[in-house]
Amino acid sequence: MAIVTKQPTPPRPAPLSESSVIGWVRINLFNSWMNTGLTLASLYIVYVAVSGLGVWGFSDAVWVAKDRRECFAISVDGACWAGVVSWIDNIFYGRYPRAELWRVNLGGVLLIVWMAPLWLPRVKAKIFIGLSAVFIYPFLAGYLFTGGDKGIFMQTMVTVAMVCVAGNTLHAMIGVISGRSLPEFLIGFLRMKEASEKNQRNMLLGILSLTVIAAYILQMNWSLETVSWTKWGGMFLTLVISGIGIASALPGGIILALGRRSKLTLIRVLSISVIEMFRSLPLITVLFMATTMFPLFMPEGFVLNKLVQVIIAVCLFYACYMAETVRGGLQAIAPGQQEAAHTIGFGYWKTMGLVVMPQALRVMIPNIVGTFIQLLKDTTLVSIIGLYDILGMLRAISQDTPWRGLYREPLLFGAIVFFIVCFIMSKYSRHLEVKLSTGHKTGNE
Amino acid sequence: MNNDRGNPGEKNMTSTKTSETPAHLASAASSEVIIELNKVNKWYGDFHVLKDIDLTVHKGERIVICGPSGSGKSTLIRCINHLEEHQQGDIVVDGITLDKNLKNICHIRTEVGMVFQSFNLFAHLSVMENLTLGPIWVRKMPKIQARDIAMKYLERVKIPEQADKYPGQLSGGQQQRVAIARSLCMNPKIMLFDEPTSALDPEMIKEVLDVMVELADTGMTMIVVTHEMGFAKTVADRVIFMDEGDIVEENEPNAFFNDPQHDRTKLFLSQIL
Repeated sequence: MAIVTKQPTPPRPAPLSESSVIGWVRINLFNSWMNTGLTLASLYIVYVAVSGLGVWGFSDAVWVAKDRRECFAISVDGACWAGVVSWIDNIFYGRYPRAELWRVNLGGVLLIVWMAPLWLPRVKAKIFIGLSAVFIYPFLAGYLFTGGDKGIFMQTMVTVAMVCVAGNTLHAMIGVISGRSLPEFLIGFLRMKEASEKNQRNMLLGILSLTVIAAYILQMNWSLETVSWTKWGGMFLTLVISGIGIASALPGGIILALGRRSKLTLIRVLSISVIEMFRSLPLITVLFMATTMFPLFMPEGFVLNKLVQVIIAVCLFYACYMAETVRGGLQAIAPGQQEAAHTIGFGYWKTMGLVVMPQALRVMIPNIVGTFIQLLKDTTLVSIIGLYDILGMLRAISQDTPWRGLYREPLLFGAIVFFIVCFIMSKYSRHLEVKLSTGHKTGNE
Repeated sequence: MNNDRGNPGEKNMTSTKTSETPAHLASAASSEVIIELNKVNKWYGDFHVLKDIDLTVHKGERIVICGPSGSGKSTLIRCINHLEEHQQGDIVVDGITLDKNLKNICHIRTEVGMVFQSFNLFAHLSVMENLTLGPIWVRKMPKIQARDIAMKYLERVKIPEQADKYPGQLSGGQQQRVAIARSLCMNPKIMLFDEPTSALDPEMIKEVLDVMVELADTGMTMIVVTHEMGFAKTVADRVIFMDEGDIVEENEPNAFFNDPQHDRTKLFLSQIL
């Protein structure tokens, strides 16, 4: 018998369980006596744990005291946050001279100012801003943090960095307001829109060289007191190591991953051996090797400071982990994408840079950020080889005479700090994933 | 089958053109040779895929290649833009011999467009960016000009309104038309089609074939691997039947379909028609 539907079926509202919170709760948590009992019991356990922690950490806690004895005198059962409070500068800056702390803060602010345009709408040429933040900013920050005499190289880099940060900021402001780039704005400002392209370019180059000269003169008289790296510590040191690690692990990983997939045997074998060697060693071993064995291989009189050795070790180690992550992403991209790029005349680098890598990195965002988070947490291992990073500082509190034996509160504080930083990173990665997703994938078998 | 929203005028034009005879279309081909294959051999490992293939294609000629799967027809056209490397014989495209010289290969690829069975649109780029990527980075074209050209071709494949969408948001037929437009944006001299309609739902095949028929009318040199025999009958100047790495039979479409010579051709045609 033939069936013909004359009228299209009108849509009906979804059942309660799909559309409202109350419906969901009722169906999933209170749908039987057994489940109701379990739900209530779990709620009670959570209440006991949280309220106990609350009483210890907040209502009975001591925030101001001159030593641990006084903490006990005020409240026996409460947390002694006073120790953490009195060490807060040490926890964040280590033994950095207190009069020079502004340099660390300025470094942090500069990084934020430098990177902020990347997240602002309507700003053009973001790739240059990102690249300059990775390759130029470290020199400026390095000088800010260490100070001392600038060699000719440092003078140049500081000059370039100053021009970059000024240009970036101006460019970003113009971008947000008018949606134009800095050169476009300058040309418009000087009423040179009608001029030939060559004249425009000469004008811009002229302005650029004047700025460079001005910056050079400015930085010549700018000199900072030397602060030895041995005084660096706390959160500041953790962020320096992990920041450099994060900034170099991804590019390093990309290079190693491409090397591993290369058709040239020598490059492939080299990449594979580096990757597999570092991945089969624990980080702590690599750190010990970097600080104790690495100097043995160097020519006599060649002394690298311990911090640089540690940073190199962390960078190499995580570049190798990142290489495997990136390789996974590359394998997820259908070979058809490469073929299509070849057919419009792209060679190897354009194919990789414009077609394959952007997609591979996008697929791998959760893993890449996961590796970053792991890196950040693993830098605490440097406290074992004698650098006072945030963990080193937190443990040092318990050896300080007034606070002898105070372990719990500092470590809990450290846990909270790490949780906040890592949670923000993973939330941001989730946000990126959603933002960069371009509909479901089709056409790639 | 309704292949397009709106634009009835253009659709009419298409349908009248499809009904034109192959004899009329054949006059588009000139005597200038644009592709020449001479005793081309290729192996995948021990498997001999292409056996002594000789083929000459003239400018403006439209060739349809058909044959059972595994017969080497896709491999053949993939050798023409060097997506696959051949081991013996010569391939000369637009006067340039394909060898290990990467510069030559890149140059040839800019002159030879290719459309794949699985579209292979760049999934991370919008339709417009897919179309302008090649012209901007390879032809060094200014962005605005590249966009104008891309829009022109999007209109030609009748989906200008999809310019800002991502490939994942389009239907298969629309994606394939974007892929054709992407190749055309490079202004190629030759277009290769590797089973362009095999991955499509039946109701989307016609919209892609219509675009290809229109392209044929502009005098483009085309080599099409397809099982769409209707397309072969209306558009092709020559039909090539391949089996087990050999060109078994080669003839103009009328004779090919009505009077096949070889037993294997007869068997193949009896199975698909």
